[in-house]
Amino acid sequence: MKVTIDPATLLLKRLQRLLRWRLWVQEKVQLTEWQVTLLWAALAGFLGCLTSLIFSALAEGVHEMLTGSSAGVVESMRHLPWWGCLLVPTLGGVAAGLVLLYGQHLTRGQSSTDYMEAIAIGDGRLPVRASLVKSAAALFSIGSGGSIGREGPMVQLSAVVASLLGRWRRFTGPQLRLIVACGASAGIASAYNAPIAGSFFVAEIILGSIAMESLGPLAVSAVVAALTIRVLTSAQVMYHVPAFQLNSAWEMGPYVVLGLVVGSLAPAFLRSLRQAEEFSLSLRLPLVARLALGGLAVGAMAINVPQVCGNGYSVVVQILNGPIAWKVLLGIFACKWLATMASFGSGAPGGVFTPSLFMGASAGYLFGGAVHAVWPAGALDPGAFALVGMGAFLAAASRAPVMAIILLFEMTLSYDIILPLMLCSVIAYYTAKGIQGSGSLYSEALRRKESETTAPMVPVGRVRELMRTDPPILAPAAHFAEIAQRFLSVRVNNLYVCGEGGRFLGAVSLHDIKPYLGELDLAGLVLARDIMHEDFPRIGPGQTLSDALGLFLGQTLERLPVVDPATGELLGSLSKSDLLLALVEKRQRVRPT
Amino acid sequence: MDQPAQLLAQPDAVVLDLTANSREAALGGLHAALAGSPGVVDAAAFLHALRERAMLAPVCIAPDVALPHARTDAVSRLVLGVARLTAPGVGFDAEHPAVRLMFMVGTPKPAVEDYLQAVAAITRLLKRDAVRTGLLTATTEAEFRALLARGAKR
Repeated sequence: MKVTIDPATLLLKRLQRLLRWRLWVQEKVQLTEWQVTLLWAALAGFLGCLTSLIFSALAEGVHEMLTGSSAGVVESMRHLPWWGCLLVPTLGGVAAGLVLLYGQHLTRGQSSTDYMEAIAIGDGRLPVRASLVKSAAALFSIGSGGSIGREGPMVQLSAVVASLLGRWRRFTGPQLRLIVACGASAGIASAYNAPIAGSFFVAEIILGSIAMESLGPLAVSAVVAALTIRVLTSAQVMYHVPAFQLNSAWEMGPYVVLGLVVGSLAPAFLRSLRQAEEFSLSLRLPLVARLALGGLAVGAMAINVPQVCGNGYSVVVQILNGPIAWKVLLGIFACKWLATMASFGSGAPGGVFTPSLFMGASAGYLFGGAVHAVWPAGALDPGAFALVGMGAFLAAASRAPVMAIILLFEMTLSYDIILPLMLCSVIAYYTAKGIQGSGSLYSEALRRKESETTAPMVPVGRVRELMRTDPPILAPAAHFAEIAQRFLSVRVNNLYVCGEGGRFLGAVSLHDIKPYLGELDLAGLVLARDIMHEDFPRIGPGQTLSDALGLFLGQTLERLPVVDPATGELLGSLSKSDLLLALVEKRQRVRPT
Repeated sequence: MDQPAQLLAQPDAVVLDLTANSREAALGGLHAALAGSPGVVDAAAFLHALRERAMLAPVCIAPDVALPHARTDAVSRLVLGVARLTAPGVGFDAEHPAVRLMFMVGTPKPAVEDYLQAVAAITRLLKRDAVRTGLLTATTEAEFRALLARGAKR
């Protein structure tokens, strides 16, 4: 006898088989919230790298336009007549000043928040127009040969793109701050082709934590950025250095002294930059005039010492590959210091990270040369001292010795130098800390901003501050088939059941229904209220993050429903990953400095 | 055998040839037999929960089979009662005008898994025409229980 099946039943059967299969696939390859965060971090890394490349290309374009040369900054300035040396940086300063001045009209109402503030003391929102204006101004100060680094604006732009990405995806506060940190990490990784240092820069300096909750996404972002830059450009090791080696254990003695010297020099360098800034402001000149004056000062020095222009990269390469006469280097060192003071003090937008590397390399080379002169066996190769000096100066200036050691290693891929580098960086770090307390290249400005911030922008520890609204819900009378479909459309393990007025009744677990997805007869029989867990853990919006952590510790849940204790209304949900991120941030904030 | 299958093999109550002229009477009849089970701690509350659930959405799994069920604190463990209604059966709703077999399930509130197992086991059992026909034609309670036990084992 031929069996005829009702077409509707057949369709339902097929649909249910499909649902079961899809659910199986979804469960097997289901991404946790952390894995999703890593994907967004990777995208932030990719976009951040593209942004950095665009900025770099534009800066080179501006430089070519102003000098008529496509060579490096130092080389271009060397070939300019004396008046050209004066004119180009001055014009750059005027242009940067005008951009900032007229940009104020566009950025009215926007804060001047930079990426560090947004991550460390802000809510992760970076003002787009203000950042673009500042970066456009930086193009002129950098392109005209200002003694300033390009990595600052590159990192800022990369962080802005990440912030936009997070805002578009409606990330919560901790997530948004983390994705901005990922953008910054990608920016550093792109600028120096150094993914490990990129991650540690942000983790150590800005987040103040190397907890895996934050370091993992930072690393992914930096790796993607470094890969992208290697694919799209011919980027290789940043500094090609000859093979250095430790010839005898006695050489460690001079490195200890170098640590002390550089550790003392770095705070003096930072202090001089601040004093230059204060002096420049005390002149009460209009912004454009101030920047033009800064450019003019750099240009005046560049007539005889073109090495003062730019971030110092080409001079560092020259020092590392020596030999270079100590008298010449001493002159360049002194002029570069003054030029950086002039550029930074005038308010030229840009970074002082790479100039710090120059200061360390010069100081190290000069010190190594001096030791070699009196005790040749104690410093066979002054170039090695230059390399170690770079790391040590950076460690002392940024107060991030781990990042400095890693960055040096990544930029040179010279492992032979690792022992003196580690020792010298740590000594320089403690020396600088002893001289200047906890202030660093970055912490001073952050502290100033923090004291100016009146409203607490970071979570202070209540569930409502981390709560996500509009979690996926079910009606109590939702049928089994509808429940299965809902689980397919949203990536959660529990669906909340709400009654009239949004009252939280319980939750249906994917784990419970999974074995019964093939049971066609249950599709119309079982309702959400039949299988919901009325005793599902919940938390109130006013409870502390510590309470929430306690609840999560006893469960295998990824989210908790946030329920108004007075009305029983479901207000939203609290994600475990958000909570852990917030707790990491909070721990960092209460850390004694 | 898991707990729901064991229970299906040995229900707490079996009523053959229950006579009722309405859904309420049918529910009441089987409930009265099941109320004596040690698993039922509050018979009135259990009946209320069953009625409430039946009002909310259909509880039939075939034209002649109903599965009234409730997750309630009125039972301390999974309880099952089975009844065969006299012909022509009782109308549970417009789509199920002649229900002849009734499986009444009660599960404690936290026991979601037991509930799903029990309901799934019963629907699987009654999908088999031979079992359904056997249950409708069994002449003694022993024969009826034996059919359930055999079905639960398969």
